[in-house]
Amino acid sequence: MAVHGPELIGRRFSSSLRNKITADSLDVFARAIGAEPGSAPPTYLIVFSVKAAEEFLPTLGFDWSRVVHGDQRFLHHRPFAAGDELLSVSEIESYKSLAGNEFISIRTDFSDAVTGVLLSSTWSTLVFRGEQS
Amino acid sequence: MIITSFQSGQELPEQTMTVNREKLRAYAMASGDHNPIHLDEEFAKSVGLPNVIAHGMYTMALAGEAIRLWVRLWVGSDKDVVEFSTRFTKPVVVTSDRDTTITFSGRVGEVSESEVTVEVTALCEGVKVLGQTKARIRL
Repeated sequence: MAVHGPELIGRRFSSSLRNKITADSLDVFARAIGAEPGSAPPTYLIVFSVKAAEEFLPTLGFDWSRVVHGDQRFLHHRPFAAGDELLSVSEIESYKSLAGNEFISIRTDFSDAVTGVLLSSTWSTLVFRGEQS
Repeated sequence: MIITSFQSGQELPEQTMTVNREKLRAYAMASGDHNPIHLDEEFAKSVGLPNVIAHGMYTMALAGEAIRLWVRLWVGSDKDVVEFSTRFTKPVVVTSDRDTTITFSGRVGEVSESEVTVEVTALCEGVKVLGQTKARIRL
C-alpha cells in the first residue's frame, strides 16, 4: 500500500464529469430511502461526491477496495433540483495516518455548470484500512 | 403558527425504520455505491466483518428522512435542510434472514425565527450507529 503524508493536504481535483441531476435518478434515490418521489433528499449529492473521490483518490495510490466512511457533512447554499447540471472540485483538507489506517478528509464544492454559482459543499472523511486491520 | 411549538430541548417522537438486504441492493443501485461489503455476505466476512453491513450513507439518508417526517409533523410541510452532518460510529449489520431495525430519536437544538437545529440519535439493537448527527433546517 502506498505511503502518504501531509503533503496531500491542499491537493485539488476538478472532476471531468458533468453531474446531471435527472428526475429519474432523484426518484430512484428517494424511493430507495423510503422518501417520496419528487423530493430532493439532503444526502442525494453523495452520488456525485463518491464518483469524484473514486476518480481522484486511486490516482494518488489509495486502494478504493479498502475504504470505509468515517464522517459526512453537507452544506447546501441553495436547493438543487432535477435539471441542474453540476461541476465539482474536490480538495484534500486533512490527512493523518494512525495505526496503519489512513484518514483523509475531502471537501467537494458543487457549482452550477451553467452559471458557476456554488450550490453545495460536501465533506467526507474516508478511512483506508491498512492490510493488518 | 405551528412553528412556534419548536422549543430548544424538546424531544421528538421515536421513529423506527427497517433495513434488509433488498433495501441495501436498492440503495446501491440508487447511489452507485456497489462496494461488496454492503451486498455480498461471503465477501464481507472475508474482510473481517461479522456480516453484510449497511452503507453508512444509507443510515444517514434514513436519518434525513426521519428529520423530514418530524418537520412535516410540526410545521405541516417540507422544509430545506441546509446543513446535515454525522459520524459513522458503528456498522449496521444486516443478516439475510430478517429485517434489522434502526430507531431514530430527535431533540430540538437551537431555534431562531428562520432556522431550527435537530440532533438525532440512531440506535440499532441498542448500539449507537451514528454520532453527533445534526441538521439545520430553514423554516
